[in-house]
Formats: sequence, structure tokens, C-alpha cells
Amino acid sequence: MIKEKINLYLIQYAINAILRQKSKNFFILNIFILLTFLLTSIFFISNSIKYELNSTVEALPQITVQKIKAGKSYDMDTSVVDNILTITGVTDAVARVWGYYYFENVGVNFTIVGLDTYENQYKKSFENIVKKFDINELSENSSMIVGQGVYESFKKGYYLQNYFNFIKPDGSIKKLAIAGTFNSDIQLESNDVIIMSKENVREIFDINEDKTTDIVVKVANPEEIDTIAQKIKLMYPDTRVVTSEDFKVSYQNIFNYKSGIFLTIFIISLFTFFMIIYDKSSGLSSEEKREIGILKAIGWTIDDVLKEKFYESFIISFLAYMIGIISAFAFVYLFQAPLLREVFVGYSELKTTFELPFVFNFQTLFLVFFLSVPVYIAATIIPSWRTATLETDEVIR
Amino acid sequence: MNKKTTYLFYTIISLFTLFFIQIIYLYSTKAITKEIKEAKVEFVQLVQLPDLAISTEATYIRHRSLADIFSIYKDDGSLREYFPSTFTYSHSQGYK
Repeated sequence: MIKEKINLYLIQYAINAILRQKSKNFFILNIFILLTFLLTSIFFISNSIKYELNSTVEALPQITVQKIKAGKSYDMDTSVVDNILTITGVTDAVARVWGYYYFENVGVNFTIVGLDTYENQYKKSFENIVKKFDINELSENSSMIVGQGVYESFKKGYYLQNYFNFIKPDGSIKKLAIAGTFNSDIQLESNDVIIMSKENVREIFDINEDKTTDIVVKVANPEEIDTIAQKIKLMYPDTRVVTSEDFKVSYQNIFNYKSGIFLTIFIISLFTFFMIIYDKSSGLSSEEKREIGILKAIGWTIDDVLKEKFYESFIISFLAYMIGIISAFAFVYLFQAPLLREVFVGYSELKTTFELPFVFNFQTLFLVFFLSVPVYIAATIIPSWRTATLETDEVIR
Repeated sequence: MNKKTTYLFYTIISLFTLFFIQIIYLYSTKAITKEIKEAKVEFVQLVQLPDLAISTEATYIRHRSLADIFSIYKDDGSLREYFPSTFTYSHSQGYK
């Protein structure tokens, strides 16, 4: 049955035809592999980062309230919390204290987050996410938990001991002991984060007791989030109210596809590909034309010629596609995308390992397939069809 | 089937096998397990801050979901829109 449908002799002929023009076809194969490899690698990385983000989006606060003054975010009054709590439907509102600390020796930004106190409610969470964990040290007020990247930055900045000296706005020093580091499993989230008590954060950033960085609001019924956000905005017109829906939208639009590196890469790879296509479709060489002519003269039908051309282009494009995606999988997930990684991690000294979660996405594979294989096959078959429909003696002459 | 066709078929079959073995291997070693996902969720619940610590050179990239439209100017008067990461990640998405 299959033998009737697939003519093995035609495949043999197609292989020989490919091998007759070894160097040309080898070149096309390589460009094709590079194209699929580059496109799929970028898609894999961005898909994995999106997946990573989306796996935690539900844990984010339902409503975040920030004060905006003259276009910048300012500290808010802690009393706002009490007023927000009076809104029906609000179950909890927490005043947060957090900010960025610039460590000049190494030139990196840390994110310092204040927790109420190291209470028992955090104990269970800490057990899951912190290694080198010592609850006794934590309960003392002058300690902190740091991300892996922060710990390495401390080491780089010659703080080999178990503590770090923060420089307060007035120039004095606040010494805090390192109680533990976050697990490397959650490095993508925790690399630059330092957790300590709110009192310490207030001291380091010089934030008064009656001020807060922003306010996080919990709502009982998720359907009411928008209404409550509007109410808060009405009560405090100078605030920016970010809902969990905004986070989802923000996560969807994480990559700046409209400008810059993605556009450059896409344009370069597509341009290269279409150059090949143009070269193919702009007409066959006289030798290829003669070949088709001779084949027709010895009795091949147009159908046979087109089938043979189809096999020829399918072998090249499909092999290239398969090799391209297999190497992209290995490149991104096994070797952590060297070189391409630099596009995503930026040039900050505080680098994460690029261990991305593996996501198998059919859509990406189909997208790259349909962008490359059928286009190439069409670009081979159409000019051949044009030649094959001509009179044989006209072609050979 | 002559030798070359056999080679071609073997190549295609081995590529498919390699592809499936790779998928299975990556799925079993590199995919997020339930425990890791729970740890991640627990961490995010603890700090309550969005976005990943992949690119931390500027605050409007690190916590881009919470950044406002003037953040670029806030970090540096010289408009540091020239970080490599600003060509990769779009910033100030959360502004309303």
C-alpha cells in the first residue's frame, strides 16, 4: 500500500539529486538549521520565562496601592490602611516596607523586603524555601535571609563573614547577620531579595513609623477586586491601584517584541531565509532546467517531476527542521543558552543561573514548522512546475 | 530500497527517537515539580512582589509590573534606556 503511494525510486532519485549538488544543498541545510534553531531557542526561552511567571501569578496580592506624587512613587501614611479596611469586602490590608539597596562595591541593586516579625506563621514557609536555616538566629532582630545572588555579591564585596554592614542615609552603619540563604530552586524569584524585619528596613531606609512604601489589600470575593480598586482610587485620587489582573496583563506583555533585539533577530533570520527562497524561486539554473527536460523526454510525467522535487525539498527542510529543534532544546535547557542568555539576563553583576523550567509547547514547534518547511517546499516546486509544463524540446534546446 | 534510501530512513528515525528521548529526559529533569512550584508560590506569597530576578540592573526592569512611567528618569537623569535589558523586557506595564 505505502509502496504504491510513495515511489521509492523517486526518493532514491531525490537523494541522488541532492548529493549531486552537495555544496549548495549543504549550505542551504546549514542556514535552515540555524534559522529554526535561533527562532525556536528564542521562543523556548520566552515561553519558559512566561511559564515561570504565570506559575506564581495567583500568589500575588490582589490589590497594591502606591502613592504617586509628581509622577514618582512616594511613601504613604500608614493611617491609609485603617481607611481601606473600612471598605466593605476588604478582609485585610497590610502596610509594606520594601525598597532597593545599591551595594556600591559590586555595583548591584538588592531588593530589601520587610516582614512583620519572624513569627511562627513564617516558620513553615521558611522551612521550604530557606537552606542553612536557623530559627533561633532569625528570632533575634538583627538578622536577615538573603538570596543566592546576594550572598555571592557579599562574598565578592569582601564580606566573607556572616554579616553585612548596611550604610544608612545618615552615613552610619547597620550591621545584620546572615541567617540563611534561599534555596537555589527558587533562584529566579529570590536571587536579589533580602528579607528582614520591618524595623530593620525602616532603619536602613530611614522610613518613619507612620510611613509605608505601599499597601497590599486582600479581598474576600475575587469578583469585587475591580470595584474595590475603584473605591480606593476614589478615596485617594493620588494613588495608583494595581490589581492582580494588571499583573497578569503585565506578565503577558513582558517582552519588548516591538523594538530592539527581538526585532533585529527576527528580521535577520527571516531576511536570510527569504534570500534563499528568492534565489530558488527566481528560476532554475539552466542545468536544472535541462535535467527536467531530459526527464520528461525519457517519459516522466509532470506529476513525477513535481513529486521528485517535493521529496528533494522535503528531505532538506525536514531534516533541517528536526536538527534545528533538537539542538534548540539542548541549547536552551541543557546548556542554559550561552550567548543568547546575555540578551535576557542583562549586564548586572547579580546574575541568576539560567535554569529555565522545561515547557513543551506544540504551538511553538508548529509555528516554526509552518514558517519554514512549507515555504521552502513551495519555493522549490513552483519554479519546477513552471519548467515542467513547458514543451520538452523547448527546455532542452 | 537502495543503500542511500535506507540511510535516509534510518537518519529520520534516529532523529525522531532522539527528539522523543530528549523530550522525556527534559520533562523528567528540567520541568517544574510540584514541590518546587509550591516553594516558588510560598516565596511569592511571603514577599508579595511581582516579576523575576533575571535582570536586576534597574528597578523598572526588576519590578516592571510595579514601575511607573517616569521610572526611567527616576533611576538616572540621563535616561538609562540603553540597558540591553530594556530592549528585551518592556517596562512600566502597570501604570494606570
